[in-house]
Amino acid sequence: MHRLNLATKLGIAAKGIGCTIIEVREPTRKSCQNRLATELRLLTTVLICAAAASAADRQISFSKDIQPVFQATCWKCHSLAVQSSGLDLSSRESALKGGEGGVVMVPGNATKSRIYRMAAGLDKPAMPLGGKLKAEDIEAIRLWIDQGAVWDGAVKPLVTEASPVPESPIPPEARNYWAFRKPVRETPPGGGNPIDAFVHKELQAKGIKPAPPASRATLVRRAYLDLIGLPPTPAQTAEFLNDRAPDAWERLIERLLASPHYGERWGRHWFDVARYADSNGFEHDFDRPNAWRYRDYVIGAFNKDTPYNQFLREQIAGDELETVTPESLVATGFLRNYAKVGYREKDNPENRYEYLDDMIATLGRGVLGLTVQCARCHDHKFDPIRQMDYYRLQASLFGYVEVDHPLTSRSEADEYEKKTAEVDARVGELRRVLRALEQPYRDRLLPAKYAKFPQNVQDAIATPEAQRTPGQVLLADQVIRGVTVSSDEIDRTMEPEDLKEKRRLSAEIAQVEKTRPKPIPVAAGITDGDYRFTPDGPGDEPAPGKGVKREAIEGSFLFRGPGRYQTPPSYLLIRGDVNSKGPQMQPGFVEAITYGNPPVELPPSSGQTSGRRRALAEWLVSPDNPLTARVMVNRIWHHHFGRGLVSTIDNFGKMGEAPSHPELLDWLAVEFMNRGWSVKTMHRLIMTSDTYKMASEYTDANAMAKDPENRLLWRYGARRLDAEIIRDSMLAVSGALNLEVGGRPVFPKIQAEVLASMQYGIWKQQKEDGPEAWRRSVYIYRKRGLPLPMLEIFDLPNQNISCGARNVSTVPTQALALMNDDFVLRQAQLFANRLQEAAPNDPSKQVDLAYQLALNRLPDALERKLALDFLAQHKLVGLAHVMFNLNEFLYVR
Amino acid sequence: MKRFRSRRKFLFESCGGISGLGLALLLDRDGLLAAPPVDCAGKSSAARKPHFEPRAKSVISLFMSGGVSHVDTFDPKPALAKYAGQPLTGKGDIVVRQGNPGPLMPSPFSFRKYGQSGMDISEIFPQIASHADDLALMRSVKGQSNDHVQAHYELATGMIRMGFPSIGSWVTYGLGSENQNLPAFVVIYDAHGGPFGGPANWGSGFMPASYQGTVLRPSGMPIIDLQPPPDVTPVEQRAGLDLLMKLNEKDAEKYPGNTELTARIESYELAYRMQSCAPEAVDVTAETPATRKLYGLDDPVTEPFGRQCLMARRLVERGVRFVQLYHGGLGNQNVDTWDAHTDVKDNHSRHAAEVDRPISGLLTDLKASGLMDSTLVVWQGEFGRMPISQRGVGRDHNPGAMSIWMAGARIRGGQVIGSSDEFGYKAEEQPITIHDLHASILNLMGMDHTKLTYRFNGRDMRLTDVYGDLIPQIVRA
Repeated sequence: MHRLNLATKLGIAAKGIGCTIIEVREPTRKSCQNRLATELRLLTTVLICAAAASAADRQISFSKDIQPVFQATCWKCHSLAVQSSGLDLSSRESALKGGEGGVVMVPGNATKSRIYRMAAGLDKPAMPLGGKLKAEDIEAIRLWIDQGAVWDGAVKPLVTEASPVPESPIPPEARNYWAFRKPVRETPPGGGNPIDAFVHKELQAKGIKPAPPASRATLVRRAYLDLIGLPPTPAQTAEFLNDRAPDAWERLIERLLASPHYGERWGRHWFDVARYADSNGFEHDFDRPNAWRYRDYVIGAFNKDTPYNQFLREQIAGDELETVTPESLVATGFLRNYAKVGYREKDNPENRYEYLDDMIATLGRGVLGLTVQCARCHDHKFDPIRQMDYYRLQASLFGYVEVDHPLTSRSEADEYEKKTAEVDARVGELRRVLRALEQPYRDRLLPAKYAKFPQNVQDAIATPEAQRTPGQVLLADQVIRGVTVSSDEIDRTMEPEDLKEKRRLSAEIAQVEKTRPKPIPVAAGITDGDYRFTPDGPGDEPAPGKGVKREAIEGSFLFRGPGRYQTPPSYLLIRGDVNSKGPQMQPGFVEAITYGNPPVELPPSSGQTSGRRRALAEWLVSPDNPLTARVMVNRIWHHHFGRGLVSTIDNFGKMGEAPSHPELLDWLAVEFMNRGWSVKTMHRLIMTSDTYKMASEYTDANAMAKDPENRLLWRYGARRLDAEIIRDSMLAVSGALNLEVGGRPVFPKIQAEVLASMQYGIWKQQKEDGPEAWRRSVYIYRKRGLPLPMLEIFDLPNQNISCGARNVSTVPTQALALMNDDFVLRQAQLFANRLQEAAPNDPSKQVDLAYQLALNRLPDALERKLALDFLAQHKLVGLAHVMFNLNEFLYVR
Repeated sequence: MKRFRSRRKFLFESCGGISGLGLALLLDRDGLLAAPPVDCAGKSSAARKPHFEPRAKSVISLFMSGGVSHVDTFDPKPALAKYAGQPLTGKGDIVVRQGNPGPLMPSPFSFRKYGQSGMDISEIFPQIASHADDLALMRSVKGQSNDHVQAHYELATGMIRMGFPSIGSWVTYGLGSENQNLPAFVVIYDAHGGPFGGPANWGSGFMPASYQGTVLRPSGMPIIDLQPPPDVTPVEQRAGLDLLMKLNEKDAEKYPGNTELTARIESYELAYRMQSCAPEAVDVTAETPATRKLYGLDDPVTEPFGRQCLMARRLVERGVRFVQLYHGGLGNQNVDTWDAHTDVKDNHSRHAAEVDRPISGLLTDLKASGLMDSTLVVWQGEFGRMPISQRGVGRDHNPGAMSIWMAGARIRGGQVIGSSDEFGYKAEEQPITIHDLHASILNLMGMDHTKLTYRFNGRDMRLTDVYGDLIPQIVRA
């Protein structure tokens, strides 16, 4: 039944003509922001039997008829303790004030009163949420309001506690779900590499034979692209092919793991999880000038093989470890990688809850493989994650504030702060003097400024303050607060003497500014503090009228002692609504995967932070945590094989896929922990297996029939290269690649037409691309509002949501880019130049070299003939360009 | 292989002709996209048929970026004149985007009744008003954010946050295109620049990139990278492509049954065809002078948006599923968009003059060409504006109420749906959320918004999240 019909019918019902059944489809929360795990509607059937017409004359008493109804329903969320949507119905005065949605009660007119309309289901959401009032109660409310909404008797209601959120116990069988049990290391079912033993067992069970090993030429290319994301040079290929020692393969892996480019490749995988970018996103897309330090930290951590548990500790709690290092401070940028609207959180706390949610989603999906964020508004629909768990995690993170950590020694940083403060003080003083000098001139100039405003504004300003009408007060305020006089305008009217003094003061300010210390390097990270006292940053100009600190308390932004830092209070939010605070929350974790009784706070000796994030990190990396190791080994597996043992990389919950090889997954997870959480060790283990070394160029009717998706790994799965690797490979083959490691991001050229679609934020490109821009793609500035089109088209993931597995799409626009894009054509030309230089005017040698550089092999006879035929009529650059478009070039096999 | 070669020949035929299948659909039908597109959360997806008989095959969305003032265009409020200069009271805290709230301000424009329906429309839209009896006008739409970008994202994706697929992506995902030579989802933005929020407005979020909107430029080459630079001759390009095809086909023989490789080979042929089909599709010089004039191409004021509207009709005619036009782009925000903080009279009269004739021309032309019944036209901004003044003559953002109209798709015209309160501050009667709007648009396209789902993050995601009620007056045939 549609709302309109419904309204009509209710209108009739309310007039007491009949009895109507009304169905109201009602979402259980105003703005769930896409979190709900399933459609969550209640079909509320409200039976409204209009009271007899005679009831209209019945006098309603608040204390007798209404208060019991309010007490049982409305006041649970709209009273002194809790004011959902800012509405407090505890007194007539507060009820008349209304809530965020505006007026709710118009005495004398029930049909215009939303209290009645929502109770009757005329407006949505129908109230009370998830329930219904009795028809006679709805009718009583209608009559009571029509009769003037008199609050007789009890002036103040009993204080109603926030409706307690039931601690729904986790059913014991919930922990029996495979992913919530701790992994167990089964003995491998056979000798040799345990991975092969597990894989072959499954294949044998299905009667499928594994593919033969790939050729050594295929393997060397596979290893290079997998580990460092660059194709091997002809010399590197030859080095391996000519190495006939039995451990040639193992040594190749070691060489690649030792390469500084390994971290660039594997760090890039982590950036997808960490939703890393160099800008804020949203309207102004402000630059994050120090974000790149986090990028370099991650690359460095992979290169150093920082144990994964330590890697997580540093990223989650790098500021509160016992040994805080510059690197661990940089690492805290991880939690700060959310897209940010850019207005002050203290004025717009709802944004802060989005950032917290993003952190929880990233930790949940990225580290635990669990969709914890689904429990923001209600208990998780599929997994045993309760809303309580969500808000405990939120409490664990709630103290966070964004800070720029100095990366110098403490004394240098102190010195810098001291000097900066001195300069600020001196400049401030001079500016005050300057301003006082200008004031009389400003006062004289302002009236002329007001003359530019419409007459009503001028009239308002001209009216003496005391005599302004309420509307004029508003008008005058708007203008007087906003109008300024420029320095130049003042100069033009200044007396020569004053002007001379102003110039002297300005010169002095400039002199003092020269003594301002050079900025010290800082890391964009987080620490604990009190967000309600956050100093303004870019874009944080207070929205006028919203600059009031509503929750002002004693304290300051960062806690500097004495004593211990206290986290600002956080609450369970009923249905996730920022304005519906439930009980205050203590820190904690997802109970269903918590074994034992881990501490929820591990305060550092400094006392400057709560230690809640550190406790959270320790819980995550505890050997008792059933998911962290499994999820990470599965990620590593995914990037080696194109598919995880659990194919839903970010979701190990019930809505995810079951593991194809559960015993192998567990075995790897336990090995990972036992071997010191070393990612490089896992590469060695995986890449030395026969399973990894199988051919992809293989098919078998029996296997295809039984396992067309190759879930059981009977051959190696060929797959398209990631966007960055396609670009990097072209640069490597053309010889233009600049292999410099780390540092500030680079800005390859983007067509002006594309740039015009997004005007805010920075894009500091050169007129023409050159070696500066020809660095590896991981160093390209990640602008949230405008991803590099060349990469985006090849499925660069959205940089605003944590992503474990990228899409792989095949569309004509990819072909257009590879056929026509300036970058590709330029690289093709450089590739052709390289061939011409190496083998001047020798087409046959040029073709051989083109194949060796691009595909690490020589052409076969037919390929050579086709290429030479082409070169007989067309330019070398045409051939070079074709090489970049070959499927073989774009795939790892 | 044989089947493929003949198919290839077929594909190299001329631009027109093939219909009934979208690009994604076409490739998918032959299993060519099959290598199950590994999406961010894992499961594969495929294009599908509508859930039921659609009323519209295409959508033209006319987006007035910056926020159109409903009380100065489609929602007259006599109370503003009556209480002019007085504070707006009794509505709780008045939240404005910039500065402090001002007093109530009457519209600088007059309204009058148009058409048999007697719809009240502002004097700044005389030509659109002449179509009053074809418009279904909603005066009670409300959004969630008073921030331009968040509000743009809400209209585009249903969410005020970044990272979600736009409605054009959902429609493309659900239905594909009827013309595989053109992108199914096309965006043409203002010559001044993109709208607030930029490309995320037509992004595919967590869906594969193939569902994102393709930007067509109103002049020059319509698609980036559509053509090689001038120094590469067509002959050279064709020779290169032929060599590529031979080598790729030879390579594909080593991987029998690998549909991903075949799809990639085929994508080159489609790309090659797009090179000639896309410019043809948007070539407004092919239209008669009378048609060009109808859209205002003879007047420098109306020419830019007129061109966008005419391109839209040509695209829809060729089976493009979703055409998103933006008027108002990020040049000088107060001047080049509808963001009338400074002076609503100046701003809105200028912008209305730029779009009135083109939009009217589009409606007239769609009717005349018989496309109106199968095309849904939606006119919207990202929010309405305040009934109170900003510094005397401007208006601040107001997501509490806005007016949006639809036409075409056999929607009953001449009807006014819902209302805002007496000042136009908040939606009052029959409040319509953006989810409701999206649900209704999908319905008109033959899709049930609760069933059009995409598995991501362990959950079947929807354009309308868990919300969305159909607007009965819109979806009722």
